[in-house]
Amino acid sequence: MRPGRQLAVLALLFVVLYLLVFLGGSGSFMDRLEPKLGLDLIGGSRVSYTATTANGQAPQADQLEEARQIIESRANAYGVSEAEVVTEGDRNIVVSLAGESDDALANLGQAAELRFRKVIKVTVDNAAAAVAPSASATPSGTAAPTPSAAGTPTPSASASGGQGGGAPAPSASPSATPTPAPSPTGTGTAEADQSGTRTPEQLLADAKRKVGDAAWAAAAALQSPPDLSTDPAAAAQFEKFSTLDGPEVAVLDPNMQYNVPTIGCAQLNARPPGSIQDPAKQAVSCEASQKLFLDVAKVLGTDVSDANGVLDQQGGDWVVSLDFTGDGQKKWTALTREAYENTSGACDASALGDQGKCRVAVVLDNEVISSPEIQGVLTGDSQITGSFNSKTANELAGKLRYGALPLTFTQNEVQNVSATLGTEHLKAGLLAAGIGMLLVVIYSFFYYRLLGTVIFLSLVLSGLLVFGALIVLGRQIGYTLNLAGIAGFIVSLGVAADSFVIYFERLKDEIREGRSPRSAVPRAWARARRTIISANAITLMAAVVLYIVSVGTVKGFAFALGLATVLDLVVVFLFRHPIMTMFARTRAFLSPRVSGLGRVLEKEPGEQPAKPRNPRVKEA
Amino acid sequence: MSGLATRLYKGQADLNIVGKRKIWFTVAAVAVLIAVVSFFARGFTLGIEFSGGNEFQVPASVGTLQHAEETVEEALAEAPNPGGDPLRVASTQQVGGGEGTYLIRTSEMEPEQSEAVKQHLVEAFGIPAGEISNSRVSGAWGAQVTERALLGLVIFVAVVMLYLIVRFEWRMAAAAVSSLLFDLLLTAGVYSLVGFEITPSTIIGFLTILGFALYDVVVVFDKVQENTRGITASSSQTYAEAANLAVNQTLMRSINTGLVALLPVGGLLFIGAGLLGAGTLRDLGLVLFVGMGIAVYSSIFFATPVLTTLKGYEPKYQAHTQRVLARRAAIARGDVTPKTARSPKQSAPAQPRDDAEVAALAGAAPKVGARPTAKRPSGNRGGRSGSRPRGGKRH
Repeated sequence: MRPGRQLAVLALLFVVLYLLVFLGGSGSFMDRLEPKLGLDLIGGSRVSYTATTANGQAPQADQLEEARQIIESRANAYGVSEAEVVTEGDRNIVVSLAGESDDALANLGQAAELRFRKVIKVTVDNAAAAVAPSASATPSGTAAPTPSAAGTPTPSASASGGQGGGAPAPSASPSATPTPAPSPTGTGTAEADQSGTRTPEQLLADAKRKVGDAAWAAAAALQSPPDLSTDPAAAAQFEKFSTLDGPEVAVLDPNMQYNVPTIGCAQLNARPPGSIQDPAKQAVSCEASQKLFLDVAKVLGTDVSDANGVLDQQGGDWVVSLDFTGDGQKKWTALTREAYENTSGACDASALGDQGKCRVAVVLDNEVISSPEIQGVLTGDSQITGSFNSKTANELAGKLRYGALPLTFTQNEVQNVSATLGTEHLKAGLLAAGIGMLLVVIYSFFYYRLLGTVIFLSLVLSGLLVFGALIVLGRQIGYTLNLAGIAGFIVSLGVAADSFVIYFERLKDEIREGRSPRSAVPRAWARARRTIISANAITLMAAVVLYIVSVGTVKGFAFALGLATVLDLVVVFLFRHPIMTMFARTRAFLSPRVSGLGRVLEKEPGEQPAKPRNPRVKEA
Repeated sequence: MSGLATRLYKGQADLNIVGKRKIWFTVAAVAVLIAVVSFFARGFTLGIEFSGGNEFQVPASVGTLQHAEETVEEALAEAPNPGGDPLRVASTQQVGGGEGTYLIRTSEMEPEQSEAVKQHLVEAFGIPAGEISNSRVSGAWGAQVTERALLGLVIFVAVVMLYLIVRFEWRMAAAAVSSLLFDLLLTAGVYSLVGFEITPSTIIGFLTILGFALYDVVVVFDKVQENTRGITASSSQTYAEAANLAVNQTLMRSINTGLVALLPVGGLLFIGAGLLGAGTLRDLGLVLFVGMGIAVYSSIFFATPVLTTLKGYEPKYQAHTQRVLARRAAIARGDVTPKTARSPKQSAPAQPRDDAEVAALAGAAPKVGARPTAKRPSGNRGGRSGSRPRGGKRH
């Protein structure tokens, strides 16, 4: 039986959905039945970020606003939950999120100065070996050592223009690079205090005092890192350098940071945020366990207009595509030409990639995200290839997109906040929903008589499906339901009831034309289906377009709209049509008192010929 | 049931909506004009979420949150207010547990106003001024959100236009989209004119109307398309009449849809405004009520008349209209026997053809021969004014 099969599919859908609801959750029976509610209904957590600029002044209002937008984009990138991001006073940005979400709040204020720098020299980080006796001196928040340890000469994620199929070698594992990132933030407050009290001059003086004059002079005289494999003792005189902390290392000359073998990646990664942001200076940074000496930054984060994690059509690998602004594209082309042709042999042999071309490092804050070898002069959009998966590719793309935050932020304590509206509004909303639905049901019983039962049942069904979907989505993708969302769903249920009206009016037409109910139902269905699908397709288009394009609250709304529409279609196809088919087989269906459709047949025999349907008549 | 209600129920109201389109266009033009003038003259009243506001932080030791809120409201009422816009509390929150602070956001204020409010609070709570902090907060709804939402709107209109062109044809697409724009413009106009505050909920409601308005139009156009399929093969009905018939046939559905959709919205509005005063529910209910009401109106009185007018410029239909009118004139003169006994159901595609043959054979209509030439553009240039007599006959 076809109608039976459709109903069975619907039942299966229900079972699966509610199994997900009950098995996916935790806590008591009632807890599992609770959708994730929004900031306005149950409150959440709130954290403020204080902006710091290089000179200690309050940032300009437009810069703060730009930062607010970037933080908002980051907050929204976590999903469709709605974050409230406002600026407060002249240097604070306050972020509020629904529910307990400390971890989500932690990374929002992270500075992200993006730079593209040519890799000039590369050396292995053997600070640990060099200072083996006093290894304990290194700060604790160490970079996670990657499996492809010291031996490999080139991390070879490779960039290529357009479709370029450079062999993506796996060693520059981007998943490992983000790991050190939390460590600066974790120790952020402590270091901020120190660096706040010490000027660069004082830091330099501190560093000199710790190291001692002799070692300092020797370090300044180094032209390249001493080869420890041939001369293990060479490191001894620099041993004291391993006792410098992040801020002190940061003020050293880049050459010294690079050449002194006892300055390790752990120390370099502990430099305060923004230490190597100056695009006009050369810099040292780490990738995996290699120290990279980097050229001045010729392309900045602000030159990138867009970045996306995409699946490469040819190779089937995840890559990060980069679009540059008009001006940025020129700079990028110039940089890649310089790297590809290796003009004036600026890149050291150690820094060349597999194919003998220079590499360009993508530097975010103090870390190298990736340093692909340039395999051609790139005049168009570019891709970063490597061993990405969808998560890491999108993560990197997100960092690149938001990599232009012009300020650095200190995070303050995370606090809980109560709801802005509270439960009385939630109750009022649900009451409104009840009243609205009741009115719709009364109206449909009045108008369609017994067919009103079908409408009533499908409303209940839609309601249950929406509810289940909300709970599951709240868990899976963090969809939060605010009061506006609840209201939206109420309205969408009403709009969904419209597809009934289309169907039943069609049915009325067919019956008026003298068909038997049994043959009228499939005919009316075939014609109503077309209308319902095209009308719903439009709503769905609105939802999809708004979801893709918009941000923040509007994105959440678009999601709700799309969800409601899809569920409406499910109910139409899997419930209403089969039920009506079964209904049409019963004798009661034709009775005017029962179905509300029979009324069109009343007095019909006498009226039919005189029916003034021909428009011509009214013209006369 | 009265006569009209019964006829509505049976889809036989026979209201001449398309024929009187000049009236509807005049009404629409006046409404749009008023809306546009209001945009420039009055602008919009933006909520704190857009324009930003002030935030007072008060230690929780002063009492309950409600007490704090009431005190702030009092202070706002007493603050000097030369601008005239009423100051109000936008939201209240408690931060941190136990001995936390209360966070009270208010409308945007001038520095002297907020200083006055703070002074009032210091006296009312009896705490030192240092414990009350007062700062300016920005809107949570950044310009970016608005920009992206508008971009989304533009893309949506483009995509939906394409879809409608594929699904129907470009004239229907143009009519549907113009009806959508008409809804949006008028809804915004009502907001500007009455001075309702615009909040994020309003914008959300506004976007909900997008789908609803087009949905309604698509349903009507679907029927129009069905009624006018192969209409040029027959001489019994002009395009305008067939379109009018479609509007009448879907009229009950439009009314039903309007009611079914507006009932829950009415519930929201009633509960939102009645029980809670200002707030999300009222804002959303209001914009939906206004927007959907206008959408139902425009799907009947705007979209189809626009479509018929556009169709009136199509040579094929111009010629057809002339032929129909000519045939009617012939019937009036008694040259041709009208076939009134036949049921005029549009669902019998076979019959109209012999209808047309009768007309052709009768040869009474001066332009019967126009049928084969109708597709040639040259023959139709002169026929442009041919749609006039039809209009003239109506009045």
